[in-house]
Amino acid sequence: MAVTTSGFGSGDFSPSLTTPTLSAAAADSAFDTTLLERRVSGDRNLTRWMGWRLRILVGAALLGCMGLFLLARWLVEPPHIDATWRPNAQGQIELQSTADPLLQRHLGQALIGIVGGDVSVAVADALALQRSSRWLVSDSERARHRAMHEQISAALSQQHVKLFFSDGDMVELTLPHRGFASLGGMFWLLSALALALYLVAMVVLLAKPTARNLLYAVMSLCQTGNLAFIAVESTLQLALPKPFPQLDMPMRMAFDLITAAAMINATCLHPRRLPGAGWIAAAAWAAVGALIVLLAQGELSQPWWWSQGSVSVLGALAIGLLTWSYHIEPHPYAMVLRRFGVVAIGTWVLLTFALAAAEHAPGVQHNIASIGSMIWYVFLASLLLLVPFLSKSQQIMREFSLLAAISTVATSLDLLFVAVFSFGQFASLTLSLFLSLGVYAGARQWILNQLLGNSMITTERMFEQLYRIAREVEAHPERTPKLLSQLLRELFEPLEVVVIPRESSAIRVVADGSAMMLPVPQLNGEGAADAVDPSRSIVLRFAHRGRRLFTSEDARLADRIVEQLRRAVAFDKAVEQGRSEERARLAQDLHDDIGARLLTLMYKAHSPEMEEYVRHTLQDLKTLTRGLAASNHRLSHAAAEWKADLTQRLTAAHVELGWNAAFDEDVLLSVVQWSALTRVLRELVSNIIAHSRAQRVEVDFLLEGDRLDLSVVDDGVGRNPRAWSHGLGLGGVRKRVKQLGGEVEWRELAPQGIGCRVIIREFSARD
Amino acid sequence: MAVKILIVEDNPVARSFLCRVVRESFSDTIVITEAGDLETARRHVATQSGQSAVAPNDPFKLVLVDLELPDGNGLELLAELARYPATKIVTTLYSDDDHLFPALQCGADGYLLKEDRFEVLVEELQKIVRGQPPLSPAIARRLLTHFRHGAGVTGGDAGIAPLPSGLQSSRPMPLGKGAPLDHERLTPRESEVLTYLSKGFTIKEIASLMGIKWFTVNDHIKSIYKKLNVSSRAEAAVLASKQGLV
Repeated sequence: MAVTTSGFGSGDFSPSLTTPTLSAAAADSAFDTTLLERRVSGDRNLTRWMGWRLRILVGAALLGCMGLFLLARWLVEPPHIDATWRPNAQGQIELQSTADPLLQRHLGQALIGIVGGDVSVAVADALALQRSSRWLVSDSERARHRAMHEQISAALSQQHVKLFFSDGDMVELTLPHRGFASLGGMFWLLSALALALYLVAMVVLLAKPTARNLLYAVMSLCQTGNLAFIAVESTLQLALPKPFPQLDMPMRMAFDLITAAAMINATCLHPRRLPGAGWIAAAAWAAVGALIVLLAQGELSQPWWWSQGSVSVLGALAIGLLTWSYHIEPHPYAMVLRRFGVVAIGTWVLLTFALAAAEHAPGVQHNIASIGSMIWYVFLASLLLLVPFLSKSQQIMREFSLLAAISTVATSLDLLFVAVFSFGQFASLTLSLFLSLGVYAGARQWILNQLLGNSMITTERMFEQLYRIAREVEAHPERTPKLLSQLLRELFEPLEVVVIPRESSAIRVVADGSAMMLPVPQLNGEGAADAVDPSRSIVLRFAHRGRRLFTSEDARLADRIVEQLRRAVAFDKAVEQGRSEERARLAQDLHDDIGARLLTLMYKAHSPEMEEYVRHTLQDLKTLTRGLAASNHRLSHAAAEWKADLTQRLTAAHVELGWNAAFDEDVLLSVVQWSALTRVLRELVSNIIAHSRAQRVEVDFLLEGDRLDLSVVDDGVGRNPRAWSHGLGLGGVRKRVKQLGGEVEWRELAPQGIGCRVIIREFSARD
Repeated sequence: MAVKILIVEDNPVARSFLCRVVRESFSDTIVITEAGDLETARRHVATQSGQSAVAPNDPFKLVLVDLELPDGNGLELLAELARYPATKIVTTLYSDDDHLFPALQCGADGYLLKEDRFEVLVEELQKIVRGQPPLSPAIARRLLTHFRHGAGVTGGDAGIAPLPSGLQSSRPMPLGKGAPLDHERLTPRESEVLTYLSKGFTIKEIASLMGIKWFTVNDHIKSIYKKLNVSSRAEAAVLASKQGLV
């Protein structure tokens, strides 16, 4: 969906990197400190309150287990018939299997009546096998279901029962107690899920007893109740013991409605408090309260439709609220919750209509009501289980999303086939599974991208960035926060990156996954300790342009990236140091050995020309070795030395020097630039001293906007520079200038003299 | 009376060349003592002055010391001769401030670059003896940093290269503590001269820029040299006494 930036409210929600002077701004509006603050201080308080909370939690867990045990105990208490039943094609209850030898003869026959003591029940259809009256659409059916269950359980409680079968036979049985084993796997699975949900609710509530967590706990506990009911219903054989048939409908409706109201309330508060949150929440609670009271008193006809409709409306309203919240502030939590909400409410509506459509086909309705509704509640329960851990791990979320997607598609297709085409249960299940797997295979990537925003920059590009940044960080340690922010921005595409003056010890995900905070690392070792302020942190907010939550995996990734960057910088540094040491050693050797020999050679020279030649060579060697030893030279310093050198040499030759150097920026010359310019200048002036018989030399050195303009003009007797033999000297000048990426030309001047002009258009290009 | 001159240089060709330069530079009768290494040079200084290198009867008037010698660095000899009343000149192939600045700190009164032409060397030598020592932009820059941070504050000071081995470890640190003494501070004029020098201006140009005579500029330079030497001589004296030389 489109993210509109207009809804950001205050204008300081700028995605640009904010400078360290932001402290004041960070404190109030640019960075919503409340989220962060609460997190930080909450952690501190946690340890203090840990003691009694832990005790309460252990108590709650014990209570839950105890409850489960008592429930199971109570379920296995009443006598039962050791047999399983199923509806047959005529809508009767058919004996499916049994371990009782007396009943074995009647396998496949329909049960038409039960007599136990003075209670006799005529079983006309398979309604008794309907697990829950909650999912019966019509009021009369529900009343009949309830009555039948009460009668059957009354008859069975007599221990001695007579069963009448459709073939006219009667079997008289003495009923044993039901064992724990007969409760079935489904009961234990659902109970375990209910228990887990209950415990998570307790943990969340006790970890931080806030209004939001209380709402979460309310939703979870309601769903725990629903799951408990479903678990109990899954043990149904012919009838549920009292008081389940009476409690089932009102309690489960109440659970659903309370969950819906809590959801509305929660979306008003989280991820951000909406305008008029109190009113909206109060209205939702009042409506739901009134509805529950009316339903409990039986004031409303068609209570099933009322409850289904109210939940759908409230669900849609919650989705609307989340959308609104996202427009006010693009918190990724709103986005994720809305996706889940859409799926949950969509399947709810689908379930409702499927049941309504199948109202007149009791077998079909039976299937949908027991399987469909159970899947929906399990789905919702796992959703609730997941919510507190949304930002903890990306992996769980991914797997869950896929699971949810498949099961949703499968369930809806199953329901569709069963309801519309009246397929058999097995056929429709198989078909829908195949189809949904096909859809899943086709749409897997799309689902992943949609749900998680999987648009990381490629590894290759990231490495490239990493090494580029490493070099820059090495040269300018003070830019570390900015460069690192840039890298992280590309990686996570957050809406906002700020550097705040707050100390943090490690990288962590804060504010429920909407932000990630990492300390500004000191990448350049101890030497640059002053350059980087260790008490600063980079905060990234709203990953993937506000559509994704930060997870602990992201934090780990960021951690690794910082580590890699640190290594890259250290490596670069070591390489640079090794290079300069090696160069210095080389320079020293060259200077000492070759220099001494050249000096001896110079003193022993037989002619002044030879002496001058060797001196020149010696000076070149010195320039070379100095260039090797020093890494770079400031232009102003170099210019001063050039001037001093030229002055000395020209004065000795009785030539006047006019020196004019101007530059708009005192750049650092690289070794190559420094040595090339030094040698070009020396060569040109040597040439003038040797050949031109000039009185005056004008040197103009101009560096303006990266364009270097050097001109050396004499007033000597030189003519026709094109005809000069470009020997070692002038050839060297050409070579050096070319090395710097420039051009050189000589021309005659009027009335006399030669002007040499060196132009380098992009001086810094060959750095 | 003949003027006594000591030339410490290991390369015989260079030594004879320097002898020629010295003879050409002065009209006096000259007695040149040559030494090929530090050991010989020390012996000459010692025998000539008895036990002490401080107050000889008939001292050398001029000492030329090469920096790179087979048995050590010329700086060691300069430091030992801190209170020896001769004009001390460093002769070297190194023209960069990293090598020359420590030499000036050790009490050199000037330096000669061995690769310069004969005439240039003669002229430079005469100038130094007359009290017009050379000062390249790089060294001027170095001096500015040195005096700005307070003389004697060595240690990690970026402006001063640590002395070669042997001297560094026994370098007296307490001298650098506290406020610099008067002789360790530059006058505003001297600072100005140094600043101009560091920008590559010639003495003549500086004179006209500051509106003073060229020899006044020269006086400032001499004074700067002296301040540097005085501050380092104090250190050298402590050093010498520690080594049992005094």
